[in-house]
Amino acid sequence: MKPPPFEYFTPASVEDALALLGEHREQAKVLAGGQSLVPLLNFRLARPRYLVDLNGIPHLDYIREEDGWLAIGAMTRQRAVERSALVRDRCPLLAEAMPQIGHVQIRNRGTIGGSLAHADPAAELPAIVAALGGRLVVRGPDGERVMAPERFFVGYLTTALEPFELLVGVRLPVRRSRTGHAFVEVSRRHGDFALVGVAAALTLDAAGACADAALALTGVGPTPVVAAAATRVLVGQRPSAEAFQEVGRRVSETLEPDSDLHASSEYRKHLAGVLTRRALTRAAERARGGEG
Amino acid sequence: MAMARRYVSTRVRRREDPQLLTGRARYLDDLRLSGTLSVAILRSPHAHARLVEVDVRPALAAPGVEAVLTGEDVARLARPIRAEMSGPGYKTSGWPALARDKVRFVGEPVVAVVARDRYGAEDALEEVRVTYDPLPVLTNAELSMRPGAPRIHDDLTDNILFHTRFDNGAVERAFVAAELRLSHTFRHGRCTSAPMENRGALASFDAAEGILTLWASSQSPHLLRSGLAEALDLPESRLRVICPAVGGGFGPKMHLYPEDIIVCLLAQRLGRPVKWIEDRRENLLTSAQAREHVNHIEMAATGDGVILGFKATLICDVGAYSLYPVTAALEPVTAASIIPGPYRIQGYSYDAYAVATNKCPAGAYRGVGMALGTFVRERLVDMVARRTGLDPAEVRRRNFIAATDVPFTTASGLVIDSGNPTESLDQALEAAGYDALRKDQRRSSTTTYRGIGLCSYTEFTGMGSGTFRRRGMSQIAGHDAATVRVEPTGEVRGFVSAASQGQGHATTLAQVLADEIGVPMAAVSIVEGDTERCPYGSGSFASRSMVVSGGALILAARRVRDKVIAIAAHMLEAARGDLVMEEGAIFVRGMAARRVTLGQVARLAYRPASGTLPPSVDPALEATQYYDPPPATFSIGTHVAVVDVDAETGQVAIVRYVVSEDCGTMVNPMIVEGQIHGAVAQGIGAALYEDVVYDDAGQPLTTSFMDYLLPTTMELPAIEVVHTETPPPVTVSGFKGMAEGGTIGATAAVANAVADALAPLGVEVHELPLSPDRLYRLIHQARKRP
Repeated sequence: MKPPPFEYFTPASVEDALALLGEHREQAKVLAGGQSLVPLLNFRLARPRYLVDLNGIPHLDYIREEDGWLAIGAMTRQRAVERSALVRDRCPLLAEAMPQIGHVQIRNRGTIGGSLAHADPAAELPAIVAALGGRLVVRGPDGERVMAPERFFVGYLTTALEPFELLVGVRLPVRRSRTGHAFVEVSRRHGDFALVGVAAALTLDAAGACADAALALTGVGPTPVVAAAATRVLVGQRPSAEAFQEVGRRVSETLEPDSDLHASSEYRKHLAGVLTRRALTRAAERARGGEG
Repeated sequence: MAMARRYVSTRVRRREDPQLLTGRARYLDDLRLSGTLSVAILRSPHAHARLVEVDVRPALAAPGVEAVLTGEDVARLARPIRAEMSGPGYKTSGWPALARDKVRFVGEPVVAVVARDRYGAEDALEEVRVTYDPLPVLTNAELSMRPGAPRIHDDLTDNILFHTRFDNGAVERAFVAAELRLSHTFRHGRCTSAPMENRGALASFDAAEGILTLWASSQSPHLLRSGLAEALDLPESRLRVICPAVGGGFGPKMHLYPEDIIVCLLAQRLGRPVKWIEDRRENLLTSAQAREHVNHIEMAATGDGVILGFKATLICDVGAYSLYPVTAALEPVTAASIIPGPYRIQGYSYDAYAVATNKCPAGAYRGVGMALGTFVRERLVDMVARRTGLDPAEVRRRNFIAATDVPFTTASGLVIDSGNPTESLDQALEAAGYDALRKDQRRSSTTTYRGIGLCSYTEFTGMGSGTFRRRGMSQIAGHDAATVRVEPTGEVRGFVSAASQGQGHATTLAQVLADEIGVPMAAVSIVEGDTERCPYGSGSFASRSMVVSGGALILAARRVRDKVIAIAAHMLEAARGDLVMEEGAIFVRGMAARRVTLGQVARLAYRPASGTLPPSVDPALEATQYYDPPPATFSIGTHVAVVDVDAETGQVAIVRYVVSEDCGTMVNPMIVEGQIHGAVAQGIGAALYEDVVYDDAGQPLTTSFMDYLLPTTMELPAIEVVHTETPPPVTVSGFKGMAEGGTIGATAAVANAVADALAPLGVEVHELPLSPDRLYRLIHQARKRP
């Protein structure tokens, strides 16, 4: 379990990193927290000739509020997001998901940008960004482009990032009033990738009916699955166990998840329905209780 | 003279912990010998294939490469590893250290490359060209044992490495009398022990002395030396095996592996130290695995829950090779013999098989055989409870051996020497608050179901040569040994054939020795894990160290102490019988001023002037004692597991865990409890999480800890431990082994708890591990049934 030889760069700026990526293109890999890439290197499943380490680049590690968005730098450690009071207040869905990502030791090293760019189909963060309709901030040789998650996440471990581009940050809309969130997942053990995870956001109107609902699932397809059609039926309804059960049924029947060692396709479909109902129920309780 | 025990039975802190916890302990990979080369091993990507061609020339030319070893080279230099067993029903083929004609499992060593460092060695592996001709693959023991199945070993008539049949003569009668008959098939997954420290071996050849030294992460230095001597055709006097700090063993580190032979051959050839460190992928591919069983069993019982008999067929998937020194028979034989457990069963018959498949070889693992046998039996006991409407505790009570029956010969012929299963059950139930748990067990409208699982078990420990000879396991000594020496300056040292893997021998054996001699623990130290310094013995496995090495240590210490007293009596001009030794001083009873210290006695013993030693007493203070204990002493115990099962998701949470155990006199209750905690974790792992999975082509799918799921602290409950102490009459020490009971009990207790939780849904449990997907399917199927 030793990696094959590679050449190692520590650029001091995003520009330097982009220049290296522009030069080496597909032969280069970007190293952020290393929680996925280093094992892949050690198993010799990834064999880049060049490794571009972002850890020496300043100004990619931040959490701040900007124009109604929560902005997080790509190199922000997951543990910092987990412990951020700003994140808890402005984006409680993210705060709830963070402790379910790996273990403390992993979150101490793992970065927000690294997880999003790696795009594991069972990871929590892509589903959070998808559920909230966040934005991914990408830098390339010609400047910045801002992408919606449905365009950014292309397939299994695949994003729309070009080999000469870097993900530099993510923006998430800050929580609206009368909105409740929930992230629930089932994994084999605490800290494992989700077999199925569901991120839900539910907004009530002044009369207590559902004004808006958003739902994204992880672990059930090559990219996060946004269940827009299934949640649309909730709009205008008062939250109820029956309505959430029905959304769960609809979500479940649209999915065609893969089977793997830890969960069959059939079980994942079933879980998607159960967890959708549970996530919506909890989100509705929180929307009513004002706790986010 | 009975010793007053000052340290034994107390919670002495572990002496080894400051070093272990501050990173100063030296494990195998911490050893630094100048000029050491590193080995990487090319492993078969095929589960079963003929080796057509092996071309290593490009690898030899790679940077930093010093040598490359192939199966052809090894065939000239070493004998295949052979696991021998006397008696009928067993057959074996050798395991060459590097494959020559065929490969038989994914991960089998094919080529070894030695280079300046591991990076260079792994790079060079990519230059080796091997042509394989794939053969039909067997991954299922029941298919592999069929007549006409492709043969894994061409020199054997079939793939059944071991078969034995037993009938105690009372089984047919038992079944005729039965009002209740159950027939079930149980399956246990394949497990691996996953020690924190993987295996490793470092060899160095001293050409001037002709001595080959192997540092190995091993549980059995002497058995390893004997196996190596055989494979390398060297006299044992030319071989030295040393075990540095070892980070967990759990059984698999008692075997001789190809890599041990490879580093020795390379060190001899190159005249430089050669090291191989197993990485985690190699550990999960090739370190001995365990457990995988199919068990078809019938049970006879009366309508009021009295169990009359069992008829069992045990089929154990032992992988591609039979392992030295335990052989492929270990798992099925142990499982079959433990099935009657702590119960009065009239009739018992079994057929037990070890069947070769194209998987990693299976060997010793904490609770070997006993975990499976106990799982099957305790599940059946609970099924009787469900069928008769009796409480599971009551069914156990109706079948237990009574304290007055002991010693009791079970239906499989094992002699339970001591212990009271009823007392153990009562203690566990009281500690758990069983009656209240049952009352609170709500099975109402929620989706969470609570279950309570019991397991009563017997644990086969401290085995002497009688057991190994009866089983035909001719390569295991069965005895252990100790040398006790008081140095001229008065320190007491014990040299033992045990080999700690983290279980605290430096503390527990020192407690025993300090008490036997009558000195403060600070004056005592323990040496183990070195074949040149320690006497020959079996090592540390099968819950034997305290019973056997501890027993040898006590016997040797008594001889040394007698000599100390004899010399002191002479010095004090007192009668031996009037002397007392405490805290390192020998004095006349009731006259504390008439005293000499152990140091004074020792100085005299090593440098006597004429007439200062009593007549017929030799100089020096040293004794070596070999101790071959009785065939076994049994520990017993009861586990109570309380679980909540989410019937919608199939997730299991263990909410309460209680253990009652009896290992005789506890040397150190803190260490006993620590061992139980770890062992229970491994039993829970097998029940809920752990499974080595192969696909139909024999490709292992669980080659990292992302897929081979060990329970972590997040999954484990607080484990409450209570004790009874019934010293066995058959050992010199009053100790019994206890390292495996936690594992043996936990798998069955958790399985029973899950089955109990889901009883209202009509779910029964036959297969492990109980993954959420499996439980979902069981619940779903039960709901579909009318």
